[in-house]
Amino acid sequence: MSIPLVDSKPLVALDHVSHSFDNGRIVALKDVSLAIHEGDSLAIVGASGSGKSTLILLLCGIRVPITGRVLWKGNPVTDAQAWTDLRRSEIGIVFQEFNLFPTITARENIEVAMFGTGRGSRERRRRAEAALDTVGLSARATHLPHELSGGERQRVAIARSIINDPALILADEPTGNLDSVNAAAILDLLFEIKRARGATLVLVTHEPSYAERCARQIRIKDGNVYEQQRANRARKEAM
Amino acid sequence: MNHPALAFRNLRRRPARSVLTALGVALAVGSFITLYGLSRSVQENVQQSFEERGTDLTVRRRGVAEPFGGTMPQTIIPEIAKIPGVAAVSGQLLSFAATDNDDHVLAFGWAADSFYWDTVPLLEGGLPKPDEPKAALIGKDIARTLDKHVGDDITLLGEKFHIVGVTNYSSIINRNAVIVELADLQEVTFRSGAVTFISVKLDQPGDSGEADRISNAIESLGQFTVTGSGGALQNDSLIGLLSAVSSAMAWIALLMGVLMVLNTLLMAVLERTREIGILSAVGWSKQRIMGALVIEGFILSALGSAAGIVIGVAGSRLLSAIPAIGRYIAVRPTPGLIAATAVAAIILGILGSLYPAWVATRASPADALERA
Repeated sequence: MSIPLVDSKPLVALDHVSHSFDNGRIVALKDVSLAIHEGDSLAIVGASGSGKSTLILLLCGIRVPITGRVLWKGNPVTDAQAWTDLRRSEIGIVFQEFNLFPTITARENIEVAMFGTGRGSRERRRRAEAALDTVGLSARATHLPHELSGGERQRVAIARSIINDPALILADEPTGNLDSVNAAAILDLLFEIKRARGATLVLVTHEPSYAERCARQIRIKDGNVYEQQRANRARKEAM
Repeated sequence: MNHPALAFRNLRRRPARSVLTALGVALAVGSFITLYGLSRSVQENVQQSFEERGTDLTVRRRGVAEPFGGTMPQTIIPEIAKIPGVAAVSGQLLSFAATDNDDHVLAFGWAADSFYWDTVPLLEGGLPKPDEPKAALIGKDIARTLDKHVGDDITLLGEKFHIVGVTNYSSIINRNAVIVELADLQEVTFRSGAVTFISVKLDQPGDSGEADRISNAIESLGQFTVTGSGGALQNDSLIGLLSAVSSAMAWIALLMGVLMVLNTLLMAVLERTREIGILSAVGWSKQRIMGALVIEGFILSALGSAAGIVIGVAGSRLLSAIPAIGRYIAVRPTPGLIAATAVAAIILGILGSLYPAWVATRASPADALERA
């Protein structure tokens, strides 16, 4: 079952998208249509290998659908450079693995995401420091990633993802490598940022309690996407 | 934080590899400067040597392979002197001659009436007197090397020559030469009536058309080649071979340096596949990712070139310090050669980084990110 594309222009949408691997032998997504509107919070749940990460990568153009289209604000995006521009300006991505550059400091890791935005080095530095302040890591600006804890590294990754004020934050199991205390803190931070900035949040998670904090939940199973019922708490988080 | 700083940090990640690569480039640049400088210095030093003695044209036996081996009959000199526009002609016999202490020197044999004698700068002593047997002038450097003074004897090919003066030439070949009467050198080298070079002074040395006419006239006299003073060894096959070998070795060294840059960056790209995927994920274009790799190549080759200049200059001095070389060739790489080599190495380093950079952009960011 696929969720039909709604008439009003969503921020990002999949229109009858299918994706597979190994020359079609492994099907990740089957004819999926999905609309995500501005301000939405959407949780993607499903078993390991069900296609959650593939869906995230399709939503930011890192993967290209085998069939179907991905639309940004109603317009199909097919050009790799257009996706690159969107990832630089409109889409922030947080990974489970943190994915920080090991040879540069926390602040510089954030600055890297501003290369190509036309901002000068002073402005990049100022914004990176502000982002670190937002995630509560001002004091760790000059630390290298290996000098930070797992939770701190993920905060840096979150700061990097929001540095260009993206409309869409894609978080692919951002708490997967953290203990429960840090995981809860990271999740709080993501929702706090989403609320403060009015951004759209797509969260991939295995944890049902985390998924419930989102206004919408979808489950991926056998390549199909199923919408879950909304929880009361989620409505609160989404407001 | 900017691109060069990021590139520099990436290179610092593998300090040993980066330093070794830069050192490889440095050795390549240093070798290029030294070897190329050596091959060019041979020609330049010969040119300086002839120019210092006031030669406009140099006549050699045509088709002779070795620089000092081909001789011409002395009898041709009066024939050349008859050509209109020729002011003076002088034959010269050259020979590497065994001397004292198992050493060797370059000996010049000049005819008694040669115009060369008119321009000899003397540091001490005087010119050989007419009909003074076995008299020699020695250059100031060889005088110092062999610790010889006016009044001493110097042995050439087993014959003793009496030192009557020390010359004060500035070109390195002349500073290390021993000058004797042509007949004396012909006698000790068993080359009676033979000369190696014939030097010609022209009435109008600045008139190239006149020089060409006289050159053609001389060449029509027999199997002779006429060149300007600087081209005395221009078509010499041994010098050509030396230049070709030096140049080939120099270019091979430089290309090996480029391959080191390519190899290092290719390894870096393969190691950093995931990071390149992250750069793509945060909105870096392929061109920007390529540019970042090229900057790393630029830094490696620029640092290597800077160190290579030092190595090249030091290597040239070391070569010049070897008596067998330094007595006849001052290996002095010109600023132009140094600059051109450094620029070439940097450009080649950048070119060498293009392939790894291209490989980096070919990687699928999705595959890179999903790689554990």
